Amino acid sequence: MAQNIITQPDTYRTRPMMPPVLRGFLWAAIGFLVFNMATIAVDPFRGHPFVTEVSAVIGWAGGVIGWLLGVGGWEGIVLPLFGSPSAWVEPLDWRRYFELSTDHKVIGIQYLVSASGTFLIAGLIAMGIRYELMQPSLHFFTYANQYLTAVGIHGTLMMFAVGTVALIGGLGNYFVPLMIGAKSTVFPRLSGIGHWLVPAGVLTVIFSPLLGYWDTGWRGYEPLAMQDPGGIVYYYLGVAALTLSSSFVSVNLAATIIFQRARGVTWARLPLFVWGTITVSLLNLIWLPEIQMTFILGLLDKLVPFNFFDAIGSPLSYLSLFWLFGHPEVYIIVVPAISLWNEIIPVMAQKSLFARSWAVIGLIFVMMLSGLVWAHHMFTNMRNSEIFPFSFFTEMISIPTGFSFMAAIGTLWKSRMRLYTPGLLVIMSLFNFLIGGLTGVFLADPPVNFQVHNTFFVVAHFHYTIIGGMVFTWMAAMYYWLPKLSGRMYSEFWGKFLAIVIFIGFNGAFSQMFLLGLHGMNRWVPAYPPYLQPMNYEVSLFAFLLGAGFVGHAIHIAWAWAKGPKAQENPWNSRTLEWMTSSPPPRNNFDGEVEVSGSFYRYDVDKLPGVIHPTE
Amino acid sequence: MGDLVVFSILWILLSLVGEWALGLAKPHSLYYIIASQGYMAERAFNFLATWLTPVFVFVALFLIYTLLRFRAPDGKPVKSSQQKMRNMGFTVFWVGVSFVLNILFFLHPTSADLQAMFASEIPSRNHKDLVVDVTARQWEWIYTYPQYGVKQAVNNLGEDELELPVGRKVKFVLRSYDPFHTYDVYAGVIHDFWIPAFGMKEAVVPGLTRYEYIRPTVVASYQTNPMVRVQCAEVCGPGHPWMESPVSIVTAGQFSQWIKHQQQLQAAAGG
Repeated sequence: MAQNIITQPDTYRTRPMMPPVLRGFLWAAIGFLVFNMATIAVDPFRGHPFVTEVSAVIGWAGGVIGWLLGVGGWEGIVLPLFGSPSAWVEPLDWRRYFELSTDHKVIGIQYLVSASGTFLIAGLIAMGIRYELMQPSLHFFTYANQYLTAVGIHGTLMMFAVGTVALIGGLGNYFVPLMIGAKSTVFPRLSGIGHWLVPAGVLTVIFSPLLGYWDTGWRGYEPLAMQDPGGIVYYYLGVAALTLSSSFVSVNLAATIIFQRARGVTWARLPLFVWGTITVSLLNLIWLPEIQMTFILGLLDKLVPFNFFDAIGSPLSYLSLFWLFGHPEVYIIVVPAISLWNEIIPVMAQKSLFARSWAVIGLIFVMMLSGLVWAHHMFTNMRNSEIFPFSFFTEMISIPTGFSFMAAIGTLWKSRMRLYTPGLLVIMSLFNFLIGGLTGVFLADPPVNFQVHNTFFVVAHFHYTIIGGMVFTWMAAMYYWLPKLSGRMYSEFWGKFLAIVIFIGFNGAFSQMFLLGLHGMNRWVPAYPPYLQPMNYEVSLFAFLLGAGFVGHAIHIAWAWAKGPKAQENPWNSRTLEWMTSSPPPRNNFDGEVEVSGSFYRYDVDKLPGVIHPTE
Repeated sequence: MGDLVVFSILWILLSLVGEWALGLAKPHSLYYIIASQGYMAERAFNFLATWLTPVFVFVALFLIYTLLRFRAPDGKPVKSSQQKMRNMGFTVFWVGVSFVLNILFFLHPTSADLQAMFASEIPSRNHKDLVVDVTARQWEWIYTYPQYGVKQAVNNLGEDELELPVGRKVKFVLRSYDPFHTYDVYAGVIHDFWIPAFGMKEAVVPGLTRYEYIRPTVVASYQTNPMVRVQCAEVCGPGHPWMESPVSIVTAGQFSQWIKHQQQLQAAAGG
C-alpha cells in the first residue's frame, strides 16, 4: 500500500542509462559476436562458416555474460565487487521489474512473470502438438523432426522454466521470507541476477531450431542426441542457464530459511510451504549440479566428439545419469505443491492442520526416497535382474506422498470449508494428483510397465501429476495470494468458472490418454495407425478447452492485479506472518521486529501467533 | 459419529459398484492381449486395479463429501467447530493401509511375476524355442530366422515381415546396429521392440544384445487387429513413427509353408 510508493528524488540515477533490458540485448549481441569471432579465429572450420557448433557454444557464453551485465550485473555486482563507485540506484517504480533487483518480492514477481509467459508459450506449442495429432498423418508440421523439436521444446520449457521455477523461484522468493518474518534474503544480488538467467535460457531453447531440428524430446537421450544437428547444443545450454537459475534460488532460500527466521519461528513452527521450499532447495542443490555435469558430458560428446554414450561407450550410462536427476526433478516440481495444499486448506476451512508432523515427515521422506527410484524410467532398458530394488522404492515412495493426503483429509473432515476459488482449486488438485499417484502404482509394477512404458499411458500419468498436481495448485496459490501480491481481489465468479473449465478440459484430455496408451498409442509420433484417430481427436478438443481456460486465468489474474477491487488486509483470515504486513508489503517487509510465540495452524485459539515490535 | 457412519457406508457401497464396473472392464483392460507375457501384465493390471479401486473411491468420495457436507454456507471466516489435530485411529488406519498395500503389491504381483518371468528365461527351458534375430536400424526392423537359414523375412512387396507359429515359445534376440553401415558407430540408437498385442516391450540398445521370451497363443494378424504389429516405442529420429511392421501369428502348418516360401525367395535372389 502506501508504504512502498516512496517517491525518489528526481535524480535517482546520477547518470542517464539505457533501459537495462534493451542494454542487455545489445550487450548480449556484442558478447556473442566477440566470443564467436574469437573462436572462429583460433578454430577455423573448413568452408569458413561464420557460426560453427563450437563457436555457437562459446559465443552463447559471451552472449549470456553480456546479457547478465547489461540487465544490471555491471553496476549491481561487478563494480561493487571491485570497489568501484557505482551510479546504480534501484528504482522504485515499474522500472524495477525490468532490471536486476535485490528485493526478494520484486525478484519473485519477475520469476512469476517469466514462468507464466513461458507457460503460455510452451502451452501454445502443446496446442500445435494436439492439432497435429487430430489426424493420423503429418498435416500441420512439415517434417517429423519439426514435430519432435516442438515436443522437446514444450517439455524442456515446462520442466525447467515453469515447473521448477514458478513455485520456488516465484512464490517461494516472494513469500518464504515473509512467512518466516525475514526482512530480506541472505544473497539478494545472487538471487537478483539468477532471475535473468531464465529469459536467457528460455530464449536459447525457443530459438534452438535455428541451429537445426533436434528430435530427442526433453530427455536428450543418447546416442540419438549425437546424431542431431546443432539445435541439441542449445538445448544443453538453455537447460544449463535455467538450472543455474534454480540453483541460485535454492542456495538463497535455503540459507534464508536456515539463518533469517524471526525470533520464535522454530523448526517446529515453520510453515508447511517453507518446509516444502527447503526440501526442494536441498533436492535442487543435490541434483541440479548432477544434470549440469551430465549435459556437459553430452555437449562434449557432441562437439569433440567423444564416445561416452554411443555403441562403443555406454548409452545406458546416459539414461541413468539423466534419470538420476530426472526423477527427483518431478518431486522438485510437486513437493512445493503438496505442501501448499496444507498451507491453504487450514485457512480456507478455519480449522487446525491435522497431523502436521506427519505432513512434514512425508515431505522429507519423499525428498530422500526420490533419489532411489530413478531406474523405473528404464525398466525396459536395463537388465531385468536390476529391476527389483527400484520397483521396491518406487512402490514405497507412495507412502510418504500419502501423508500429505492424510493431513489434507484429516483437516477437511468435519471442517467448515469456504469454497472460494483457492479452496476449490486445491480440492481439484487433490483429485487430479490422486489419479496421477494411483496410476504410478501401475507403472511401478514391471510387467505392467513393460506394456505401458513409452506409451500415452505414461504421458497421461505425468501430466496428471505435473498439471493436475502442480499447475492446479499454482493457480490456487495465485488466487490465494493475489490480495497480498497486489492488494486487490479477483472476481469470484470468473475464478470459479475458469477453475471448472480447466478441470473439465484437463480431465477430458488426459484421462482418455490413459486409454490411448493401453490401446497401443506410442509416444513421439506425429503419425500413428488410423484406428487411434477418433479418441485423439477428442483429446485434442479437450486440450484446446484446457488451453483456453489457462489463457482465461492469465487474463483474469492480470485484470484483477491491475484493476480488481481493493482487498481487505487479511481477506482469508489467515494466521501466517505474510498477512501481518500491508499488501503489497513495504520494501523491508515488516515495520518492526517480528516475534512468534504460537502455531500458525491453530484455529482453536484467538490469539495471533505473531506480533510486530515497532522499531524506534 | 453420523458423518463417519454415512461416509463408511457410502465408501463400501461405491467401492462395490466400482468393483462391479471394473469386473466388466477387466477382460478388456489392456484391449487385446494374445501372448503369455501379456496375460501376466493384464493379470497384474487387474489385480492392482481391484485393490486400488477402494483407495480411489475413498479419496474421491471424500472430496465430493467435503464439497457437499463440509462446505461453509457462507464465506464468513467462522472457526470450524471441530479442531482435532490428532486422531490415532485414522493415522494408524491410513499409514497402516498404505504400508500393507505397498508391501502386498511388491510381493504380488511384482516379485511373484518377476520370478515367473526370470524362470521362463532359464536356458534349459528354452531348447525348443523359435529363435528370431531382430535387428533394429534407422528405420527398419529386420527379422532373421537362423534355425531356417532365412536372412531377412519379407512379404510379396519386399517389406519386412514377422510371422510366428501359434503356441510355440519364441526367443527374440534384439540388437541395434545398421548392418549396411557397420563401420558407423554413430548409426546405432536406442529402439524399443514393442508388439502391443503381446503386452511387452524391450529396449534395443546399441552395443548390447537383449532377449525377450514370449509365447503367442492366438492366431491373429495386423489385419484382424491393428495391435498385432511391431512398433518402435523409443524415439529414434524422424523415422520413428513409421518404424513399424505387420505381424502374423499362424498355425504350425502355415508357418512351415511360409518358411519354405521365404527360403525360395532367398534362393531366387541369389542368397
